[in-house]
Amino acid sequence: MKLDTDSLAPIYIQIADWLENEILNEHFKPDEKVFSQYKLAELFNINPATAAKGLNLLSDEGILYTKRGLGKFAAANAREIILNKRRDTTLKEMVVDLAAEARRLGVSEEELLEMVGTAYEKRKGEL
Amino acid sequence: MIAVSCQELTKYFGKNRILNEMSFSIQENTITGIIGRNGAGKTSLLKTIAGYWRSSAGEIKVFGHDPFNSLEVSANCIMIDDGMYFQETLGLWDIFEWAEAFYPNWDQGLAERLFAYFQFQRYWAHHNLSKGNKSTFNMIVGLASRCALTIFDEPTIGMDASVRADFYRALLKDYLAHPRTILLSSHHLEEVEHLLEDVMLIDQGTCKLHMPIDELQMYAISIEGPADLIREWTDGCETMHEQKNELERLHRIVLRNTISGEALEALNSKGVEVAKVSAADVCIYSTNARKGGIDDVFTDDAFK
Repeated sequence: MKLDTDSLAPIYIQIADWLENEILNEHFKPDEKVFSQYKLAELFNINPATAAKGLNLLSDEGILYTKRGLGKFAAANAREIILNKRRDTTLKEMVVDLAAEARRLGVSEEELLEMVGTAYEKRKGEL
Repeated sequence: MIAVSCQELTKYFGKNRILNEMSFSIQENTITGIIGRNGAGKTSLLKTIAGYWRSSAGEIKVFGHDPFNSLEVSANCIMIDDGMYFQETLGLWDIFEWAEAFYPNWDQGLAERLFAYFQFQRYWAHHNLSKGNKSTFNMIVGLASRCALTIFDEPTIGMDASVRADFYRALLKDYLAHPRTILLSSHHLEEVEHLLEDVMLIDQGTCKLHMPIDELQMYAISIEGPADLIREWTDGCETMHEQKNELERLHRIVLRNTISGEALEALNSKGVEVAKVSAADVCIYSTNARKGGIDDVFTDDAFK
């Protein structure tokens, strides 16, 4: 398990992202217990307080919930929240960057859309 | 609960003031990195906390007691550094027996497993160990003693890279299983930052910064771009560091990370590169007392 220490994103955000991916991949199912801050600390070789910040971030967004004394669990609608969030922020940002790069390179709107269409087609079989 | 607290702690050595009115507190069961340049006062502070040295003025409390001459603090605190001295007649194995007698939480099993892992021999003499092996053995004593306050002062001196990595991993695993207050001083913040909860930066006997490590990692940003643009943009801003490119065309500045996302995006679209500043670099820029850089020492015409 490796973290990107050069990334602009703080470690606890990377931990939160990793947990989100595990939920999307169904390694953590709805109402299933996720890793504790101690387990995450061991897994990623980080301070448990840093791991706790990542977990708390997801709790604040309703992706995880706490059962007193038992730990944190994936919410029933965790997948939905994550997908909506990523559509609204991550994907939109990528599209903005894509458009900016296309303009810099003098690629027309039609050409860009065609490239996107081809790439989308190619990945048809994937989830 | 607070493990260590200082109020205007001051320490003189002759006329030299080596700790200058330090005030801070350290939460129980956290790992704090003590960072600073050579001669900043790290070791002096740690020795005062461990009760080896008496303070000259101000107040210091460890678990509520003045650590100097306190049996209570002495039994609950261990300080590991490269100056550790053990009876020369004792073999390494005998040192464990002595430690077990003194430290109530001593874990003999852990000590023995680490001893075997690092391939020590029972009869070896401590004073004949190589620098790296001495540090490694001292680290075993430091971990196995399980003291409520465990202080490591530059614990990795002489250790090779693989032993250092093993040590940091062992420290983290033992801390996870047995939380306690750990102070870890190091010249290499980048090597230890993943382990830390808090960082304290010491400079000229004062506590310059004390904050969670992830705040320090986000404390500053660097922007680099055409010199004119950067100069115009930062006019009147307080910068932490400036760096002229050799060609004088580009300019890089480091400043507090308080600029809005939109402003950064606007800069970015003009070809200015915005980058993260590592926690280690923040420490360097925050303690740069010297004027200029190493280049200014060399005045020969050949470089002109």
